[in-house]
Amino acid sequence: MEISQNTNTTDRKFALPVDSEHKSTEFRLFSIASPHMRAFHLSWISFFSCFVSTFAAPPLLPIIRDNLNLTATDIGNAGIAAVSGAVFARVAMGTACDLFGPRLASSSLILLTAPAVFLSLIANSPAAFLMVRFFTGFSLATFVSTQFWMSSMFSPNVVGTANGLSGGWGNLGGGATQLIMPLVYSLIHTNIGSTKFTAWRVAFFIPAFFQMLSAYAIFFLGQDMPDGNYVRLEKSGEKHKDSFSQVFYHAITNYRGWILALTYGYCFGVELTIDNIIAQYFYDRFNVNLHTAGIIAASFGLANLFSRPGGGILSDVVAKRFGMRGRLWTLWIVQMIGGLLCLLLGKIGSLSGSVAVMLVFSVFVQAACGLTFGVVPFISRRSLGVISGMTGGGGNVGAVLTQVIFFRGSRYSTEDGISLMGVMIMCCTLVILLIYFPQWGGLFCGPRKGVTEEDYYLSEWTTAEKEQGFHKMSLKFSENSRRERGKKGESVPLPSDKETPSTFV
Amino acid sequence: MRSFLLEVSLLLLFLLKTTNGDVLFSSLPRSFFVVASPIEGQVLKAGEDNITVSFGLNQTVTNQTDESYKKVKVKLCYAPISQVDRKWRKTNDNLKKDKTCQFTIYDKPYERNVEGFKWDIEKDIPTATYFVRSYVYNDVDEEMAYGQTTNEKKSDSLFKIQGISGRHVSIDIASACFSVFALLSLVGFFIIEKRQSKVKS
Repeated sequence: MEISQNTNTTDRKFALPVDSEHKSTEFRLFSIASPHMRAFHLSWISFFSCFVSTFAAPPLLPIIRDNLNLTATDIGNAGIAAVSGAVFARVAMGTACDLFGPRLASSSLILLTAPAVFLSLIANSPAAFLMVRFFTGFSLATFVSTQFWMSSMFSPNVVGTANGLSGGWGNLGGGATQLIMPLVYSLIHTNIGSTKFTAWRVAFFIPAFFQMLSAYAIFFLGQDMPDGNYVRLEKSGEKHKDSFSQVFYHAITNYRGWILALTYGYCFGVELTIDNIIAQYFYDRFNVNLHTAGIIAASFGLANLFSRPGGGILSDVVAKRFGMRGRLWTLWIVQMIGGLLCLLLGKIGSLSGSVAVMLVFSVFVQAACGLTFGVVPFISRRSLGVISGMTGGGGNVGAVLTQVIFFRGSRYSTEDGISLMGVMIMCCTLVILLIYFPQWGGLFCGPRKGVTEEDYYLSEWTTAEKEQGFHKMSLKFSENSRRERGKKGESVPLPSDKETPSTFV
Repeated sequence: MRSFLLEVSLLLLFLLKTTNGDVLFSSLPRSFFVVASPIEGQVLKAGEDNITVSFGLNQTVTNQTDESYKKVKVKLCYAPISQVDRKWRKTNDNLKKDKTCQFTIYDKPYERNVEGFKWDIEKDIPTATYFVRSYVYNDVDEEMAYGQTTNEKKSDSLFKIQGISGRHVSIDIASACFSVFALLSLVGFFIIEKRQSKVKS
């Protein structure tokens, strides 16, 4: 089954080969061709800037905690606040993408949270510190717009790669900031000569400006879909302006979205937790100095350069041969191994052993994140944004849960907390066994006979809506997603002239 | 059995440390007296006020020989109340790992009769409750004796220092202006979008 090339274009020609939805079927990393590759670079850079802002405080904590007279509890609470804001923000962002388009949704959120970063400069108390970290953390919802945008611009055969690279290179910000902020701080403190307590404040201008500039870049240079922005497409009738309640309903009634929200909490959520606690772990358990602990912490986040994209690419590669079932199996295996490595990390007592296990663990847990978003674009077409938002939000819920259960107070030592977190990862990953796509199958069961992609995606629209032609994009998507059957499924039924396709949950 | 093993290992660790050459605070004699100008509960301002400190051999301790004393350091130390829930200021008997006294305000070779000195409180001293302690070192830089302004429990003659905020009017203004600018830009975005949609219809 070939993906049909668009031969009857009345509109623009694209720099890259496209499918019937005008989504690019190739991914060329070093191109900035509009609109596909440009969208990619805009989204990963802006997401990177949000990560830098959200985790700008941790590397400077030794100075901030003295300036603001913070206790360890204050610091812990601020860390939890930084990741909890995004739980609902991500779901809201998903909805906003479905309704207003990723360009407006993400640039708006980034501009809305920029004041929180600017106001960090004048924080003067533990309460103020908590508030600025909480509101800055909302910006992590740009993850959802990143994934949504990539799923709108890139065809199913490269969507895993696009999602993995944009998500991974954005997450890189969490590691890069551990190196950037101390550098900027020392430039201001040593070279310009400001006092310590002024220098850290001035240093925050850097992430704040970076974030603001990326919002402008998205607004002026970006575009929602290959054919244009939502506003224009809706006016010309090419895109139907969807109803919020319908979009929301079809997202929350799709059980697969909930399953991936849970499992994402145990790959991405775990990654966020580790970002917050790993420097202290190495500092306390192995008595390395703060500078070294910071470098180790940074290397965990920097592995995102290749590990999360690797997961996305792996998802696409496996799908060529084995389709969706291959994507699911790979996700399950990689995340299980990640859990096992986490369990091991807490048990190792030597510094070099711990660093080695941590690095391998980082690769697996981040690859699992990439693999998750190789599956997400296929769960729903109509409610892609909300599903992405739910999954992303689930990631943050996982981060809050693991920090509250295992890393707060002195109930567990940090090493025990890490091992127990590994056990929890493995238990929660088991639910992937329950995911089943009628047209493609699940981990253990094959596809149901006679069911097509159209049956699945068109069941999200009512007959009345279909009569008005609102479901066109789902039709195109169904055709393009045929390759998720893998090589074996090529001879499976195509849509015939069925009157009423059955509804699938 | 477990607690026995714990005790044995603690004892071994203790012995190991003393044989290792790590100096323990509990092993030091309080051979010095230290007097500092702040009175109990006084609040001093960093970057503005100063402390006058005088110190010398504690006359009440007999049989002292100060031949091995080579260097004196006077330090500003956190009182217990400022160490609560702050592991980075924790007191540890092993002086190599102790984090109670993080600021050195005087560091000179030892002389028998020293007049007091005045120290201007620097701008990077954080808001906290403090006392003053002096250490005397031998020629291989090991602590030999100490003195401090407070008692053993570190509960009296404590004083407070109010640190600077680090904020300047210029920073406050810049931060507020850019925040407003960001929000205004957002409004601008929406206006532009509305215009675009009107143009198309």
